[in-house]
Amino acid sequence: MITCPFCGSEILEGADVCDDCQHSLTDMSIPQPVTPVERGLLKDRIRTLNPRVPYVVSPETPIGTVLENMLAESIGCVMIVQDDKLLGIFSERDALMKLNAEVAQFVDRPISAFMTPEPITLEAKNRIAYALHKMHVGGYRHVPIMTDGKLTGVISIRDILAYLSEKIGVPV
Amino acid sequence: MSFQLSLSSEAVTAAYPDQPLVVDPESTVGETLQLLRAQKTGSVLVCDEGSMVGIFTERDALKLMASGADLTQPISQVMSRDPVSLSADANVGEAIKRMSQGGYRHLPIVTQEGKPTGMATVFGITHYLVDHFPETIYTLPPNPGSIPSEREGA
Repeated sequence: MITCPFCGSEILEGADVCDDCQHSLTDMSIPQPVTPVERGLLKDRIRTLNPRVPYVVSPETPIGTVLENMLAESIGCVMIVQDDKLLGIFSERDALMKLNAEVAQFVDRPISAFMTPEPITLEAKNRIAYALHKMHVGGYRHVPIMTDGKLTGVISIRDILAYLSEKIGVPV
Repeated sequence: MSFQLSLSSEAVTAAYPDQPLVVDPESTVGETLQLLRAQKTGSVLVCDEGSMVGIFTERDALKLMASGADLTQPISQVMSRDPVSLSADANVGEAIKRMSQGGYRHLPIVTQEGKPTGMATVFGITHYLVDHFPETIYTLPPNPGSIPSEREGA
């Protein structure tokens, strides 16, 4: 037996309403954030992480050029965009998994042949919890951030780790 | 508050480290790249007689791929020597600090003799953190903004 949080009388577990005071009990099962970290994740929006400006290339760009640019710009992923539409994403991991030791024979091929098409995206107005959810469950390192359907930024797992460390107060 | 306590008291081995992937210094770059692909991982430790001498990550791989480097040279020529590492008794807070300061995604965990026992990764640490507030993360709807038209079961 559990007790009703409103009137204190005993109620059956799983009941929708309290028989005595008729209060609805259905909201009792909605998890409430308890720690500041949880509250922050559910309240702060992705834009507060200041998503970086993505490095954008066209789908025809040769893969060799893309690799050189990734190094020159010190970035881990590029976005493939055509006519304001995000077509795909190409990351260090794609380079390692798809080009690997055979890279020499692919350098002139277009990036569109190796990109990951239609990546998971989020909006800048979404809560940070969603970013953590997508990255953690999907195993992604980068998530493109859209504003009104247009690519405007990218956040990485390290942005999230930095946010969490600050919230948790990792001793420096 | 309790969260902070556990960060400085819990060992990094609790933050889901990967098993370390190890190659000999004489292995060629090409072999190492293929091993990384086969194991679907982004970093490998270079060990000479069981003791760590260097690390080779996908960033190093990208450099070699972009410059069209010779893939038959030994990995010891291109690895990063004496990488930043953690001892097995290091705590999670320390691992997070080192990662964010150095911009690393992988930190090898080594014994005093230099033998690698694990690889702390940014994903492992995130997993560990999510374990502390699973309801906040795992109960989210698949898409933000999608509101169910009625309560489940109602």
